[in-house]
This record gives sequence, structure tokens and C-alpha cells, in this order.
Amino acid sequence: MKAIAKKELKAYFLSPIGYVFTGVMLLLFGFFYTQVLLYQSSDYIPDVYSSIFTWIMMILLPIITMRTFSEEIRTKSDQGLLTAPVGVLSIVFGKFLAAFLTFAAALTASLVPAVIITFFSAPDWPKILCTFLGSLLCGAALIAIGNFISSLTQSQIVAAIGTFGITMMLLLVGQLSSSISNTALQNLVNWISFDSRYQPFTKGIFNLSSVVFFLSVVAVFAFLTARKLESRRWG
Amino acid sequence: MIEVKNLSKRYGENMALSHVSFSVGENTVVGFLGPNGAGKSTTMNIITGYISASEGSVAIDGFNTLDDPNEAKKRIGYMPEIPPLYVDMTVKEYLNFVYELKKVTLPREKHLREICALVRITDVYNRLIANLSKGYRQRVGLAQALIGNPPVLILDEPTVGLDPKQIIEVRNLIKNLGKNHTVILSSHILPEVQAVADRIIIVNRGRLVADGTPFELEHGGQSGEQKLVVRLEGASREVEQALKSIHGVLAVRNFGQKEPGVCEYEIDGRGGTDLRRPLFGIAAKRSWPILSMTSSELSLEDVFLRLTGSTYLSDNAGKDSERTGGKR
Repeated sequence: MKAIAKKELKAYFLSPIGYVFTGVMLLLFGFFYTQVLLYQSSDYIPDVYSSIFTWIMMILLPIITMRTFSEEIRTKSDQGLLTAPVGVLSIVFGKFLAAFLTFAAALTASLVPAVIITFFSAPDWPKILCTFLGSLLCGAALIAIGNFISSLTQSQIVAAIGTFGITMMLLLVGQLSSSISNTALQNLVNWISFDSRYQPFTKGIFNLSSVVFFLSVVAVFAFLTARKLESRRWG
Repeated sequence: MIEVKNLSKRYGENMALSHVSFSVGENTVVGFLGPNGAGKSTTMNIITGYISASEGSVAIDGFNTLDDPNEAKKRIGYMPEIPPLYVDMTVKEYLNFVYELKKVTLPREKHLREICALVRITDVYNRLIANLSKGYRQRVGLAQALIGNPPVLILDEPTVGLDPKQIIEVRNLIKNLGKNHTVILSSHILPEVQAVADRIIIVNRGRLVADGTPFELEHGGQSGEQKLVVRLEGASREVEQALKSIHGVLAVRNFGQKEPGVCEYEIDGRGGTDLRRPLFGIAAKRSWPILSMTSSELSLEDVFLRLTGSTYLSDNAGKDSERTGGKR
């Protein structure tokens, strides 16, 4: 797992992907932090994460997950991984870890403006950190889903667009809930809505059920990805 | 070392492999031979655990590839048809990655240096794999299989894309490796297998059709006929008749005039009789100069073509039309 995570991290930063991802992400954060400065109140910092974050996830996460397995399947380098004496799950988690660390590094860098603001003001750090934690968890879940979609196809484009679609659905579906009259359906929509799971964090509420939800999504999709990789053995 | 039992692989209706069994002892080089699409790569992919069999089992050094996949895989170095390379890495980075992936415990620097020297990639050690030629990539693929010094090496068409000098180098390398490794290499090039293998397994259409040493295959499994091709100077009709009268001759074919007054004849003789001496006697008596005489033994190539039969040509024709049909 360590070897694969290391190799994947290297791959992100040997190719432009890692830099484009981090750069664009920080650019978008910079834009919203500018607005915080214009409002002249550090209370708005968690809002940076609540409003912009969904867009960043939607647009940028597919970029780091699209290549994880598609590329290997296309170049047949998966043959090297699957015939090495390592379990399929450790391949999946190695890849997941690398994508997650790339994402986490960029997200951590996005806190720099908040740190600087601390010198001039007193932002509500517990709330900011709670938001940060929520972002990490939600991102982890979406990365696991993206990796799974990447394992379904040899085409990176298909993987990216597919992940984009699913991510968008999961993040925006909550907006429908108020217009649904059927309560069972409404509950279901609220249940799968990543946004309604994530928003409490931005208000400083550490929601244990959301933590469990996001971690379960990671586990389920890691499992599914491993099954998918193994499925060719049974095909 | 390798126990393959009753291996079958089904893709829907299509039987890619049916009931293949063989076992390979230690320190042998086995050539896996067959026309394209015969099931060579499928067998290798099953042995290495990349795909599973529909039926049957594989054990490496006593470890079943399904029950103890990691123990079995630890003992195998695999070089697939397309080497599993990452083109955005340098050779050094890639080999280090494979070293870590395989959890090798040998001293890293020394081990990698030895392998690079063995497959002659030391001069490209710091180059990006993307910039390497096909021959070098192929050798990096071979290096990757050798990392960790596994006792079993499975090489799928290891010399494809190499120049003639490199082919000879790689063949010698495989021969040397065969002294303390169990090697299975696939190929559809006969002379290659003949040059390196102690034993040849021929598959065709997913079935094992022959298994033996090159010598056994060349000399066994045939009707025991012998063939002579002779050039004699003399009136062709008389010559033919005289040749047919030799004891043990089954048939004589006249290939026609090759030089003025000289015809070429092919003589089929019953096995066990040497036709050369009586032939000389008759020719001497009639003063027909023998200008050439060659005995055409059944070569491995003939054996191969005979075993894989006419399907070889028709299969390839089918493949070509498939390719022009735009199928991937």
C-alpha cells in the first residue's frame, strides 16, 4: 500500500495534474477569501468553505480521480499491480490515500489566508477547523466514489465526466428535498445528500452521524473498487 | 515447481483454454508455443493470477494461486506481453517502485544494479521510460520481472521488438537464468524456442497438442518415414523406375529438370531403412552422377505445422479480416 501511495503521489506531481489541481483550488479559495476581506469580518471564513466548497469538489475532484485506475487499465500496467504479491484492497487504498493526500494538502494550504487574518482579527478557529474536518471527510467520500468510477472504464474522460455527474448529483440533490411531497422520498434524498451532511460542519457542529456516513462511503466504494478489479479474474 | 491441472477458461461461449495440464520441475526452461490466439497468454495470465481459470488449478511451489495468492505471486516474476511500465517515471524510479511493491528484502542498491547490468539497461537508468525505444522498454519489463529474484519466471514473448543482436542477448540471458530458475516463455517463433528451451509445450486453439523435448518432438509423433531429395543426371523415366525398385522405397516424386539433363527427385522411404547406400549402388551401376543428396528430416517447424494443422493459416486469415473490420 505504501509503495503504491508513494508512486501515485509522485505521479500527481510529476505530471501537471497535481499542480493544476492545487493551483486552481487555491485560486478559487483566494477569490472567496477576497470577499471575506471585503465584508471585513472573519466570521465569514467558514462560509468560504460552505459556499465554494461544493463547486470545488464538483469540478476539481474528478481531475485527481479520473486517472487512478483508467490509466492503468488502458496501458495494461494493472497487470503488474495485480500479479504482485499485494492484496487488491491495498492497491485500492494506496491509490485512495495518494488522491486524498493531494486533496488534503491543497485544502490545508487554503487555510493560509485564515492564518494571516488571525494576525489582524480573531476568527472562530474551532468553527473553521470543524469546517475543515468536514471538508476532508466529504472529499474523502467523493474521492472513493471517483476512484470506483475510474475503475469502470479505460477512458479518463468518461471517468471524469461520470464522476462529475455523480458528484454534482450528490451535492445538489438536497436542494430538491423541499419540493418533494412524498416524505419517504424526501428522507431518502436528505439521506444521500452530501451537502446536507456537510453543511452542519460549516456551522461548527461536529456531527458524528455524518462522520460515520462519509467514512462508510469510503469503505463501501473501496470495497466495490476492489471487487471490480478482481472481477476480471472471474470474467 | 509449477503444477497446472486441468485448466480451462471460458469467455461466454468461447473456450479460450480447455483442460490444459502440465507440470514443470525446477531449473527448466519451457517454451510455450502456439499460433496467435492459441491460449498462450491466457495460460500465463492464469498462472500469474491476473485472471482466474473457469476450471482447474495452478500451484506454484505447492502454493495454490487461489488459496495463497500472495505466497504464489511472491515466487513468480512475470513479464506480460505489454510490459507494465509507467512512462512518466524514470527507469530508476520504476524499478524502485517495483522493488517496494514486491516487498523485496534483498539489499536494494546492489540488487537493482545487478539486474540492470544483467539486462543491460544501466546506461538508461536515469532516463524517462517514455523516451526509451521499444527494445529498452522490453528489457525494463524483463528487469521488473527479475526483481526479488523469484524462482519462477513467466515471460510472454520476451524478444518481441528487439533487434537481432538483442534477441541473441536475451536468449542467452534466458538460457543462463534457466540454470537456477524455472522459466516459461511463450513465443510463436520456433527457432527461438528451439534455441533456449529444454522442453516445448505446443498449444493450439486452447488445447495442449504436444509436450516434450525438442528432440522428442522432432523424432517422435511421426510415422517414421524418411525423405531424401536427390539430384541425378540421367533419363528421368529410367531413373524414376530404378529408384522405385530400391527396397524400402514407398514413393518417388519427380520435381522436374533443374539443370540440363538433371532432375530432382524426392524419395519417401520406410522408416528404419537407409536408402542412401542402395541409391548410390544403382546410380554407380548405371553411371548416373549424383549431384546432390539431402535427407530432409521432419523439422520442428514441420511438427509444429502438422500439429497446429491447417487451422494455423485459417486462424490468421480470420484475424486479419477482424482487424480490417475495425475491431479493436
